[in-house]
Amino acid sequence: MSVSTDKQPVPGAGAETGPAATTHTVEPAYVPAEQRIPLLGLAERYALLLLTAGICLYFSVAPASSDVFASLSNVNVVLGGQTAVLMIAIAAVFPLVAGHIDFSLGATTAASMVLAAGLMSRHDVPLPVCVVACLAFGAVVGLANGVAVTAFGMNPFVTTLGVATLLGGGILWYTDGQTIFQGISPDLRIFGSSTVAGLPQVTAVVAVVALVAWYVLTHTPYGRSLYAIGSNHVAARLVGLRVGRNVLLAFVISGTIAGAAGVLQLSRTGSATSDSGTALLFPALAAVFLGATAIRPGFFNVVGTVIGALFVSFSVSGLTISGADTWVSPVFNGVALLVAVGLSTWLGARRRARG
Amino acid sequence: MTLLPDPVSATTESAPALSVVGLTKRFGATLALDDASLSVRPSTVHALLGGNGSGKSTAIKVLAGVYEADAGRVHIAGRDHDLTSFKAADARAAGLRFVHQDLGLFEGLSIAENFAFDAGYPTRSGTAIRWSALHARVREVLDDYELDVDPRTPINELRPADRTMVAIARALQDTRAGDGPADGHGLILVLDEPTASLAQHESALLLGKIRRRAELGQTVVMVSHRMTEVLSVADDFTVFRDGRTVATLVDASPTEDELVELMAGRAVDALRPVDATQATTRARLVVQGLTGGPLRGVDLDAAQGEIVGVAGLVGSGRSTLLRMLFGDRRPDAGEVTLDGRPYRPRDVADAITAGVAYVPEDRAGEAAFPDLPVTDNLSVTRLRSYWGLRGMNRRREKATGGRLIEDFRVKSAGPAALFSSMSGGNQQKVVLARWLQRDPALLLLDEPTQGVDVMSRVDIYATIREAARRGSAVLVASSDVSELLALCDRIVILREGRADEELAADGLHPDVLTSKLLRSSSAQEER
Repeated sequence: MSVSTDKQPVPGAGAETGPAATTHTVEPAYVPAEQRIPLLGLAERYALLLLTAGICLYFSVAPASSDVFASLSNVNVVLGGQTAVLMIAIAAVFPLVAGHIDFSLGATTAASMVLAAGLMSRHDVPLPVCVVACLAFGAVVGLANGVAVTAFGMNPFVTTLGVATLLGGGILWYTDGQTIFQGISPDLRIFGSSTVAGLPQVTAVVAVVALVAWYVLTHTPYGRSLYAIGSNHVAARLVGLRVGRNVLLAFVISGTIAGAAGVLQLSRTGSATSDSGTALLFPALAAVFLGATAIRPGFFNVVGTVIGALFVSFSVSGLTISGADTWVSPVFNGVALLVAVGLSTWLGARRRARG
Repeated sequence: MTLLPDPVSATTESAPALSVVGLTKRFGATLALDDASLSVRPSTVHALLGGNGSGKSTAIKVLAGVYEADAGRVHIAGRDHDLTSFKAADARAAGLRFVHQDLGLFEGLSIAENFAFDAGYPTRSGTAIRWSALHARVREVLDDYELDVDPRTPINELRPADRTMVAIARALQDTRAGDGPADGHGLILVLDEPTASLAQHESALLLGKIRRRAELGQTVVMVSHRMTEVLSVADDFTVFRDGRTVATLVDASPTEDELVELMAGRAVDALRPVDATQATTRARLVVQGLTGGPLRGVDLDAAQGEIVGVAGLVGSGRSTLLRMLFGDRRPDAGEVTLDGRPYRPRDVADAITAGVAYVPEDRAGEAAFPDLPVTDNLSVTRLRSYWGLRGMNRRREKATGGRLIEDFRVKSAGPAALFSSMSGGNQQKVVLARWLQRDPALLLLDEPTQGVDVMSRVDIYATIREAARRGSAVLVASSDVSELLALCDRIVILREGRADEELAADGLHPDVLTSKLLRSSSAQEER
């Protein structure tokens, strides 16, 4: 290590540096980020899936739960019971991709349930009309959210929270705090309890919805536009994407799926309570955020969301069968979410640090 | 470029305020700094220059204690420090103060509060904040720094140049704590790209103030891409290239070309205008009486293959003109024809369909999708073309992305690299490639090389000329006189809301253009 000797600066023109001047333009020190080690990238992508499989394996083998957990009937209970949560989770992905959160989805589903039950039991409306009415209702709620956010520039967080509260109040007024269970179409009950290829029929519907949502988000210009809008909405406008229209449509799609979730849920439960749907929303959001750590880490995506929902529901089922108390389920949801977010943040930081 | 003969300077030169020797820093296999040195005389503004990857930012980060050097020593105010274990706290104790490009100010809080976060709030009996004392102290500092603003003003209400000045005053505020002079004497201020986000008149204002600080005795080290500004403010220059110090100019006034040549290590012919214009006689864009915002009836035309510069002072409506032509802003009046057909875009998408492309001034805010891969940033202007029965054709998208990266000489880790992982120059190349793959009829560029290093600028100019050769009419709005002269066939000066003057760029002297720009009224009386 040389000691500083007050070296006098070179006083003179650049001509003195002539010999070195033959080097060509090189940018030697620029080391690009994102030089992923493929294996780590894969691990990050599929960690949640492997974890889900691992947990299912554990509960299938562990003595406390093995005889019940791995049975087809338990799988049916879990999948069937998660219908509404899964649907709401898929619905929530659309606005989230575009950078907005929709808190009204749980309430939309709950209100849609009450609407369907009410139409059937109080007005004898035929089932197909009820289904259409519920989808339309969800679309209208989504439209209202979307118009408020895109046309009036209202804060989506507060707006959708307001709409959720409003719907919750509406449910209470309409049901008067009572459960509607009479006059529900038997066809709907039969649909909800029948199975296809051994699995609940409603799960098949959810699978189809998930497939379509996946296709729309990853394989259409519309879905790609939403990701671009979520990344930078000003830049999106300046590359010709119709930002307002696309975001509005995301809210409408989201609301419609939530409306459909109401019908599916009613087909499972056979009755509509005065519950405001908050209990449905938060596990769904947990699944979406868990899903953002998988498959396409850092982005909300449908496949990750489905895996996230399965992870949480099978884990909770396993714990319940093993004899855990009821408080275990929300605690598990919360811990899983925090761990997942922490893990993905850590992986992201490592990836950036390598750059 | 001579050594100073007078004894005062001789004594100061014998004891530099800051001197770095033998600085070496490796990142993996890359040698970012290779025995680099730097010597800063007290009470001077010292410019540290170099292209991307020259190591200048790394050197600053070593001095700030962000990176540890592999070898090297720094000598500050008579004390010697080992740079292999030089921490941020050491840098502070040694009297180095840094103001980075991102100023680190809290936007919504007042100037006084921003000062207090650094130096602490004066308190009464341990808890209650003595606001009046804080405001009085900050008021004094602001006065010293020629900032005529109330300490209670929130940062986001300040003009851009004043924000930077507040950040500088804050960085140097602890010189006031003692009884010494309030001029930051003894501290060394390091400015990293202080003017990168400022418009030209704002940066002129800021540089004037920095210059006066130096005359009052402040030692300043400044890193900047903007050659003309560096030349206007710096006494001494150190040029880094490939991690080595290739030249040190003391008390010199080199020309821009000389500096660029030192940085690039080759003659910079590419920055000079090409003599052969590619303009054809086929009128492509004709604008008549365009009115709205600052524009009060702009008449303008551009032929196929012609590069037309749009010059004018800040507020003259350069950006507004481009935005209106891009359909982002509705004009109040005026007619535009594109290839002989009336052109009235309802929105941006409409303009794009008509074959218009626009590269905005604010790359990070208005052009970047930072967390998306380069491919997605490229394909976003033509998503529909990749869509078929089987969904988005990712393979074709990636192949096109890879080809564009090669064609536009983008240095990135490949199509899957994140946009934000690239340097400014490469980001700008991607934004250009995004549009040029559509072969636009009309290309609108707003400050196309802002925040771009000299080497990438050469590539970008070549790209723009190539676009013109292929038939685009190009409008370039720029506040950089040398850029307008290097790039354009013809320059239109916006003044009082009109295209007031038109000049052929060929043979025009930069000083002539600058003086014409500064003239507030039209130059008719000259003729």
